[in-house]
Amino acid sequence: MKYYLKLGLILFIFCVVATGILAYVNSLTAPVIAQRKATEEKQAREALIPNAEFEEKESDQGLTYFVAKDPETAEILGYTFIAADLGYSSTVQTMVGVDSGFKVLGIRIVDQGETPGLGANCTLPAFTNQFAGLAVEDIYVNKDGGVVVALSGATITSRCIANSLREGIIDVQDEPEQGGEQ
Amino acid sequence: MGYLGQIFVMAMTAIFIQNFVLARFLGLCPYLGVSKKLDSALGMGLAVIFVMTLASAFTFLINKYLLIRYDILYLQTITFILTIAALVQFVEMVIQKNAPALYNSLGVFLPLITTNCAVLGVAILNTTAFRPDGVTAYNFLDSVLNGFFSGVGFTVVLLAMAGIRMRLEKSEIPKSMQGMPIALILAGIMALAFYGFMGWKI
Amino acid sequence: MSFIKQLSRGLIKENPTFVIVLGMCPTLAVTTSVINALGMGFAATFVLICSNAIISLIKDITPSKIRIPVYVVVIAAFVSVVDMVMAAYVPALHKSLGLFIPLIVVNCIILGRAEAFASKNNVIMSIADGIGMGLGFTLSLSLVATVREIIGAGTWLGMRVTPLTYDPALIAILAPGAFITLGFLMALMNMLKEKK
Repeated sequence: MKYYLKLGLILFIFCVVATGILAYVNSLTAPVIAQRKATEEKQAREALIPNAEFEEKESDQGLTYFVAKDPETAEILGYTFIAADLGYSSTVQTMVGVDSGFKVLGIRIVDQGETPGLGANCTLPAFTNQFAGLAVEDIYVNKDGGVVVALSGATITSRCIANSLREGIIDVQDEPEQGGEQ
Repeated sequence: MGYLGQIFVMAMTAIFIQNFVLARFLGLCPYLGVSKKLDSALGMGLAVIFVMTLASAFTFLINKYLLIRYDILYLQTITFILTIAALVQFVEMVIQKNAPALYNSLGVFLPLITTNCAVLGVAILNTTAFRPDGVTAYNFLDSVLNGFFSGVGFTVVLLAMAGIRMRLEKSEIPKSMQGMPIALILAGIMALAFYGFMGWKI
Repeated sequence: MSFIKQLSRGLIKENPTFVIVLGMCPTLAVTTSVINALGMGFAATFVLICSNAIISLIKDITPSKIRIPVYVVVIAAFVSVVDMVMAAYVPALHKSLGLFIPLIVVNCIILGRAEAFASKNNVIMSIADGIGMGLGFTLSLSLVATVREIIGAGTWLGMRVTPLTYDPALIAILAPGAFITLGFLMALMNMLKEKK
């Protein structure tokens, strides 16, 4: 019995040392990671709606979105949020900015794990740029009667992006404080 | 889509669409190493299903009630692998004592499972996975079911591989292709077949 | 045996991927591009060198009954360090390797070398073995990735190397292509060995 206690103790000491080292490394890297992430998201938001102050809010459906306001006049310039939906082989996350009339200002694919060479092409400007200026009712892929030209060989990815954007925009539109129709 | 529907989607995804071996490249060592005979493949498959289900349950609880609560997520890798190792050891002892017949068929595979990356893989994936709606994070039951279905997916392709390789023994293969190379090319063709399930909207 | 000789063994003669056939999961999963392969290779090499060194240092104070759990703790600690450092300083690479960074823990090469080499040899030799095996692993990953990236995307390290008229055969960077490429490469190795 004593022998097993000794074994357990040795293993325990190794675990404690390892934990100590990891806690130290974490204390060094965690702030770097957090700061990088915050800057990246902030930059993405500012690229979509420049010169605005962002205020974080949550919709009734549980969607986190940001209201962009003019820093001086407090006039609402637009909204940004990250829309997510299951694509072909991964969850595709798209950051979108819309103006106060809910027309799309621009989109950016934040995260995707789609097929390289097919669905993964959704990050290319040739695909994302076509969303600029679209109104909610236009955001369907061309196969579903909309104006979004689907990526060749990746209709499912394209459809998932279009649908998640449209649903997200409708969700934000319906928020009472944005004057949306209830 | 009701909850049962979501479970069905989860099962089909884990077994066919995002198969652990053929699409996610997890658990390849046993897939290529233990697929020479059908009965040993079955033993390995069952042992993996068992351990993956249990590991999913334990690691989910540890992640939620220890790592997230005390904000020590950086210890995730180390705690998960120790949990899995301890779990495998424990399962081995219990089976050996209470079910000698089961031990005889599964016993030799259990120690190998600790280093099967599919087990650690499913444990880590469960912590970041989402329900088919793409918004809700996995709860306890989802994680356990995902572990179980992923194990089933592993077993299905392992058995198929073993069946093909047993037949392959009787055919003439160029000398330099024998063994691992032909097994890999077979796996490639299987992966190609499984590609047909991708993009399958349920 | 000298330091250099031990180091060179892992590169060709005992190449972990092609000769000992270990660590197949990352070999197939991250070789979609050469840059991913190099990232994975160097991460694994770092863990291998560090864990080999530490394990050979503690081999006399670890009771043999609990040596495997102790090795696992040592390896997992270094893997977590690599994981955090990569997330902080090379986020793009960290993201594309994703799940396979924590999975270095269960890479059979690392535990295998700990058990087969570092637990029996001194620190200097273990470090040499770590470097050799790690570079051997990196070399085979890059080889597989080179073939896949050129055929599947027409590029090498992101630079276009094929004529513009070449339409890349996407299949090579998809899952089936991984298996088939490695299968043919291994058959090629076997053929060269027989010729000798």
